[in-house]
Amino acid sequence: MTRRAAPYVVAVGGAAVITLVIELFASYVSATSLSALFLLLVLWLGARWGRGAAVTGSVAAFLLYDFFFVPPVGTFSVRGPAEFLELAVLLAVALVTSQLAASQRLAQATAEALARDSRALYDLATSMLKANDVSPALALVCESALKLPAVRRFAVVADGGQLAGSQLTADEMKQAGWSHEHAQPIGVAVKDGSVVTMKTRGSTSGLAYLPVLSGVVVMALNPDRSDAAELRMLAAHIGLADLLLDRRRAAVETERARGLEASDRLKAAILSSMSHELKSPIAALRAGLTALTSPQAGLEPEQRELLGDLDRQATRLDRMVGDLLALSRLEAGVGMETEPHSFAEVVGASVREMRSQLEGHQVSVRIPDDLPPVEVDDTQLGRVVGNLLENAAEWASPDGGIEVGASVIDGRVEAWVENDGPAIAPSDLDQVFDTFWSRRATGTGLGLAIARRVIEAHGGTIRAENRRRGPRFTFTLPLAHVAARA
Amino acid sequence: MSGRVLVVDDEVEMQRALRAGLQYHDFDVRAVGSGEEAVREAAAWRPDVILLDLGLPGMDGFATLRTLRPATRAAVIVVSVMPGEKDKVRALDAGADDYVVKPFGTEELVARIRAVLRRQADVTAGEPVVRTGDLEIDLARRLISVDGRPVHLTPTEYELLRYLALHAGKPVSHTTLLRQVWGEYAVGDKYNTRYVVAQIRKKLGDDPANPRYIVNEPGVGYRLEA
Repeated sequence: MTRRAAPYVVAVGGAAVITLVIELFASYVSATSLSALFLLLVLWLGARWGRGAAVTGSVAAFLLYDFFFVPPVGTFSVRGPAEFLELAVLLAVALVTSQLAASQRLAQATAEALARDSRALYDLATSMLKANDVSPALALVCESALKLPAVRRFAVVADGGQLAGSQLTADEMKQAGWSHEHAQPIGVAVKDGSVVTMKTRGSTSGLAYLPVLSGVVVMALNPDRSDAAELRMLAAHIGLADLLLDRRRAAVETERARGLEASDRLKAAILSSMSHELKSPIAALRAGLTALTSPQAGLEPEQRELLGDLDRQATRLDRMVGDLLALSRLEAGVGMETEPHSFAEVVGASVREMRSQLEGHQVSVRIPDDLPPVEVDDTQLGRVVGNLLENAAEWASPDGGIEVGASVIDGRVEAWVENDGPAIAPSDLDQVFDTFWSRRATGTGLGLAIARRVIEAHGGTIRAENRRRGPRFTFTLPLAHVAARA
Repeated sequence: MSGRVLVVDDEVEMQRALRAGLQYHDFDVRAVGSGEEAVREAAAWRPDVILLDLGLPGMDGFATLRTLRPATRAAVIVVSVMPGEKDKVRALDAGADDYVVKPFGTEELVARIRAVLRRQADVTAGEPVVRTGDLEIDLARRLISVDGRPVHLTPTEYELLRYLALHAGKPVSHTTLLRQVWGEYAVGDKYNTRYVVAQIRKKLGDDPANPRYIVNEPGVGYRLEA
């Protein structure tokens, strides 16, 4: 009580002291000049205590000056506008100074508060960064948020589990999950670096849910203690939690990718050793058989013919093993590496490789010169084209032509392999791509199945249809994202 | 005798079959079962061609190749059951002259051996003009012509074609081309070599879908037809 009264006592007392001083020196200096001392007093009062004290001081000074020095001395009578002007000046000085001082004090208080907040956030961020793991860092953020007077509860939820903060009930967790799934905040929003509360229907608990990129921040606020600074601090905490949740998600994804990579490596290793085990005996078989079929080996023609048959069987076995391994590799999902490639170049390599099988058939390639590059694994696509060419050669009528073509349709490349020859039975058009489905006994029944797997692994489709000339196999390929070159 | 061939394979059946098959084609053949023996035999016997299986016990195929390469002038043909293109690239970049995927027939192998021997002879002869079909590359005068008609290439295109010509018949990997044409520290992607090859083909009138001169080796790189 006395503390509150102090400025007013000092104001009145100060005015009285100055009156005394003027009285003492009035004989030497004119009272009017000395009245400027009152101005000093009012200035000081305004700066020190603000408006109330300054105004009190002004009024006291005016009354004392009027009573003691303005004739008729000893009365409070006021004559003429000059004296009112004096009072007005004193009051104006009081008001302006106190206003200036007050805003200065407010600015200082705000600066101090900001410095305090920044310091707190800085400390929080540093300890957050020092934590190797995301969970303890999140716990720190929650702890710090709960220290804010505006916050009653604060928790962080992600992937259907609570990571840190105030304990949530099952219902609250469900609500948080809904909020994240629909990216729908309940009760609060972050706007311009501050938290804004919103009216909600049905939220009786007063709990607010704010979905961020990789989780949800759940909080309950104290409405009566939520001033602007508090809400800004809260928004900063939410920002930190958001950052940590992102980091956590990245870590989880890296971990998952590492696991997949390890299992891919294992699968690749198994397939590679399988291929070694299955192919080595065939390699020795073929090397031996073909050595004996050379004329210099000195065998009889019938014997060489027999050995030639055996080598053809070994070659077939090799192809079957190769196809099976290729299929397993595709099913295991290993070994796809896509890059921008020229489809014409891939076709060129496949046609070359199949030269002997394609003998007797005219292969025409219809690929426009300006066909954009496709994003593919070229060896796998080469296998597709090779298998389709082989299929076409097998089914083309004697001397029948084979055509390979491509064009851009709907933002991707549509390519086809077509041959002159008998149509595929309509009921078989879909089945030709099934594993082990074969139109004749000599095929492995895997060529078209592999083609489909490869195309589907590239995100494309493949289909068979009967055209006027004969069957056509059409497949789609993704365009490569390559910057245009001049 | 058409040449000395050293077979390096740990399987006795394979050694025996290759020895027989190659001898029928007039090659002088020796066979060893490990990388260490291969290194010894290469120095002592001086073969013209080494058939090196990559799946060797002990010192593996790549290590053997790296040891052999600076020590011998023999052409090295890498043999492997691994169908992976990465191994082919690795082998070529480590100095192999060609690769053959197991299983293969004797005829195919003999054709490959003859091709590398022919290339070796060309290199020794120091022939400054490389011809493939009607394409002529005069390395001494930096002149290129198709069917007698001169073709003008940019410096990059010329460098790439020159490197392929110097190794005519041999597959050259994208990485090797990048290094040879753009420099040791080239940070390029394979699309660079593909783009330049496409430009060269256009100027030579070569069709990528049915190439006469520059052949695409899927997953590996390019080869100039010999």
